[in-house]
Amino acid sequence: MKCPTEELVSRLACGLRPVRRLPSPLVLLVLWTVFCVAVVVLALSALGLRQHLLRDAMDRVDPLSVVAAAAVALLSGLAAFQLALPDRDRRWALLPVAAVAGWLAVMGWGCAGDVARLGWAGMSLGVDLGCLGFIVGLGVPLTLVILWATRHAALRPLSVAALGGLSAAAFANIGMTLIHEESATAQVLFWHGLGMTLVVGVGTLLGRRLLQGAAPADGPLSSRPG
Amino acid sequence: MSSATFPLPGPLPGLALRRVTDEADRTARDERWAGWMQAAQQGDSRAYEQLLRECLPLLRAICRQRLREPAEVEEAVQDTLLTLHRVRHTYDPSRPFRPWLAAIADRRALDRLRSLARRRGREADLEAAEHVGVAGDAEARLLSADLREAVRELPASQRTALQLTKIEAMSLAEASERSRMSIGALKVATHRAVQSLRRKLGGER
Repeated sequence: MKCPTEELVSRLACGLRPVRRLPSPLVLLVLWTVFCVAVVVLALSALGLRQHLLRDAMDRVDPLSVVAAAAVALLSGLAAFQLALPDRDRRWALLPVAAVAGWLAVMGWGCAGDVARLGWAGMSLGVDLGCLGFIVGLGVPLTLVILWATRHAALRPLSVAALGGLSAAAFANIGMTLIHEESATAQVLFWHGLGMTLVVGVGTLLGRRLLQGAAPADGPLSSRPG
Repeated sequence: MSSATFPLPGPLPGLALRRVTDEADRTARDERWAGWMQAAQQGDSRAYEQLLRECLPLLRAICRQRLREPAEVEEAVQDTLLTLHRVRHTYDPSRPFRPWLAAIADRRALDRLRSLARRRGREADLEAAEHVGVAGDAEARLLSADLREAVRELPASQRTALQLTKIEAMSLAEASERSRMSIGALKVATHRAVQSLRRKLGGER
């Protein structure tokens, strides 16, 4: 008589269907970036923006902060796609750390500039719910898309979800930066940072639920009791 | 040493030879497995079955590094096979197969170890309840303080479902009306509550 494990092997092999091999993480990153850029452009045009948006933005926006946010978006996206594969090193999770530090440094430098220019009034934190709403409203649906794209992440679902959420939030943040009314850097840092943190938090919570499909039913991420 | 007094080949060259042979065997085996996995991705069920059977000893060895009890090892191996099956499209044939497989096995063994530790923690809390068997009269067991304690630890929805459907013996429709939970949700919550109690009170898994 076969033992249960051997029976399982026979059951899995019986009627095996061909599968389409997953594209490489770099290809997935390119697809993800194209998708996010398209969504952000659509969202911006849906908001009825001026034709010369980009030219105006270039005058207003510190290009370094956009480059830093883009680096966060791309590197955390790549890290999520890499970590979703079983045989990749867990240190991929550290890939976006430098970019996040760079983004914070750029914003911190901006805050220091505001203080030098305007005194401590430059540090005032006005309420900016529109900005928060844009980042969360765009970031959460984008996070759902990257969770879907990494649904095979069976071994490290939480890291993958958090990094995917960070990438989605950073793309939403770039969109917001381009249309942001002139305001103190501290305000931008606070509301954008809060928006991105919320998106990463929601992404991680959703990831716990959504990516568990790739883990066995009796795994610790399962919703079964015990 | 004996190898110094007798000019015959000593144990060291023999060992070295065996090591080289083992290495060559392993390389050949890894290539064979990668080929079988590639064929399995294209739907070749014979290659897949051969691959899984050949992998079993390695999977058991990996899981045994984390788990001691043979039954747990076997469960971890089965978890590994299920995961491997679900994510078989993520294997890239240009990379070696063994690290891909070993990462899945190691993670599933670790998961099982953690769930075992959690289960043991709960069992330690409920040591006093060990004498309460799962068989026997339901009402008598309900009188047990241990069982009350275990029921109290259940999530609220499961506790309500258990209370209404099993203790107050309401019909699903009545219980649904009282609890404002759907019948489906009630069934699931009751089932989970019973499973959870069975596990906590030392019954079968």
